[in-house]
Amino acid sequence: MRLLLVCAAVMLSPALAAQTATVPDITGAWGAYPGFRNGPPDPRFVPPPATEMRLKQPYAQAYEARRKAEKESDARGEPLANASTECLPNGMPAMMFAIYPIEILQSRGQVTIIAEAMSQVRRIYLGAPQMKMEETPPGFYGHSVGTWQGDTLVVDTVGVKESVLGYRGMPHSDRMRITERIRLVAPDVLHDQITVEDPVVLEKPLTFTYAYRRMPGYEVLEYVCENNRDYVDEQGVTRMRLQER
Amino acid sequence: MLPVRNVHAAMRAMVAAALALCAAGGALAHHSFAMFDHKNKITLDGIVTDFQWTNPHVFIELDVAADQGAIKHYSIECASPNVLQRLGWKFNQMKKGDKVKLLVNPLRNGKPGGMLEEATLADGRVLSDGNPPGGVFER
Repeated sequence: MRLLLVCAAVMLSPALAAQTATVPDITGAWGAYPGFRNGPPDPRFVPPPATEMRLKQPYAQAYEARRKAEKESDARGEPLANASTECLPNGMPAMMFAIYPIEILQSRGQVTIIAEAMSQVRRIYLGAPQMKMEETPPGFYGHSVGTWQGDTLVVDTVGVKESVLGYRGMPHSDRMRITERIRLVAPDVLHDQITVEDPVVLEKPLTFTYAYRRMPGYEVLEYVCENNRDYVDEQGVTRMRLQER
Repeated sequence: MLPVRNVHAAMRAMVAAALALCAAGGALAHHSFAMFDHKNKITLDGIVTDFQWTNPHVFIELDVAADQGAIKHYSIECASPNVLQRLGWKFNQMKKGDKVKLLVNPLRNGKPGGMLEEATLADGRVLSDGNPPGGVFER
């Protein structure tokens, strides 16, 4: 009888059915795919190339000028300061690049992603309403809500600080919206297809995909930026602080 | 655990892959390595005064004998603890008083500092730091 009632409830409520359906298990540590010492990637799991990044003016001009200045200063051995000089986290969406492994945790109503690099944490609230852009306090990771659509976790993020540079150092405005489609393409290979929309800065949405491999048993390490020897001199150049004897 | 020499080869492959990823549009773990002279390598034979297993980089503080009994002190930057740990390094494998030989890319501004390429420990073991071969990470 109880079983019948449960079945009836599920049949009557598609929303409940969606909530109780089994979702893919993506919990655990993940490293960039194919990763190191793992041989060449399986061509089936190599992400498609990114779409063209087309910035509006004056952002395009400023972006190119900055890239040129970085290249020239690097050639002189005097790298320009940037967020990493100050040990600031990558933020969204750059933290999903996973230069060091990431860890995904699935719990009731939430998916949490921890990047080993700089111990960055983002929380994705499942089934929760998204905040209005203009009411979202700007942060490094923004405010993320998600839903499982079949086998794909679709995540919507707004509220990333304008000082947090994105894909290849891309600038953005407070109107940026990030949509991720996170999906297992094989039992141990995960893709995060990331689409960035920004009507102020981008001519058209930018889409790129990061791939990850499961790292069974890997324990994500702590990362506290306690010994940053970099400092910025009067010319804005990054220097290394030496220790006196 | 891979033999040390295989670790070197693996690390080179890892760095190549990282560079490819970065060129494809990634992020930088910490900073540009352009302040170091990647075309120049110097060997420092010295005594460790401090081994700092810290983020964003591990540092080896080293006293090197200079002319007429003087001591020149160097600060040598290594990769981060997690990268080194994945390469087989341990937080306690180097300590104050150890005699080590370091292959280093010196600072381009001539100051007594550099970036580690390879460390030969007191017991003869050789460990790579996995520097980008001759280069600067592309972001």
